[in-house]
Amino acid sequence: MSKNAFDAEQGNTAEELLGRIGQLTRQLREGLRELGLDKEVAKAAQAIPDARDRLAYVAATTERAAHRALNAIDVAQPLQEGLASDAKGLSKRWDEWFADPIELDHARELVMDTRGFLQDVPQKTNAINSQLMEILMAQDFQDLTGQVIKKMMEVVNDVETQLLQVLIDNSPAEKRQEIVSNSLQNGPQIVPGNPDAVADQSQVDDLLESLGF
Amino acid sequence: MIDKSIKILVVDDFPTMRRIVRNLLKELEFLNVDEAEDGAAGLEKLRGGSFGFVVSDWNMPNMDGLTMLQNIRADPELGKLPVLMVTAEAKKENIVAAAQAGANGYVVKPFTAATLEEKITKIFEKLAKG
Repeated sequence: MSKNAFDAEQGNTAEELLGRIGQLTRQLREGLRELGLDKEVAKAAQAIPDARDRLAYVAATTERAAHRALNAIDVAQPLQEGLASDAKGLSKRWDEWFADPIELDHARELVMDTRGFLQDVPQKTNAINSQLMEILMAQDFQDLTGQVIKKMMEVVNDVETQLLQVLIDNSPAEKRQEIVSNSLQNGPQIVPGNPDAVADQSQVDDLLESLGF
Repeated sequence: MIDKSIKILVVDDFPTMRRIVRNLLKELEFLNVDEAEDGAAGLEKLRGGSFGFVVSDWNMPNMDGLTMLQNIRADPELGKLPVLMVTAEAKKENIVAAAQAGANGYVVKPFTAATLEEKITKIFEKLAKG
């Protein structure tokens, strides 16, 4: 093919494409008006920036809650481990004393250390408990995000219904059947019972085993 | 016996999930843990350091976990590195695709500490045998 012929063909294709997009857009607008959906779609389009804000809020709130709980665990764990190792140490010293209970000076030191430990326990368990409360309180995100998500679902539902209607009204009959997703990145299975997905870890293991992995 | 000093890379775009996995690994006494926020950053870290194990999410920006896994398997230096996928992707075709790409294990989110431990132990046992 000569260069000129090639350019001409390119030009034609681009023109054709533009023509088709123009035609589709006109068809879509007419379709929307006929269906009385033009106002609904405008409303839905307006709701989308708001929806984006809501999603950002959900993401930020849940992340904050997770960090809050993890921070509390970071504080509580060393306290807990300290209590356990102190108790273990004292217990070992008591075992040794019971095996050979003669050195009185040693025993006195052991009694004082044990007394000190016992006095410390309530203070340390209180500190751990306040971290547990912090973890408890961090779960309040569920309520906050739950409400926002509920509102979001209404918006999404509206947009979906309207767009789907437009799509169905404007697609050729043979295409109407095959509007299915075919991607490997779908995220968590939100509705249980999908036959194409696994429901738990044991099903993952079974599938892999059946394939010989 | 598993060598607990082995260097592990946790790849996930959510910092909270990286923290949770890191904490679970700490609970299992794996203390030598590094993190990356996506597959591209993960590959870069893997090429720079002597990692012995990778725990990776699937759905991430820039480069997803499957692509990272394929890149690891295609790399002569990293080819044999054990990779455990920990992901919310629960479709059967995902699990098959990961296995075919050479994943050593597959854990679906949400998961428990016990599941993670079981899979890691199994991977190391298999590696020790073969």
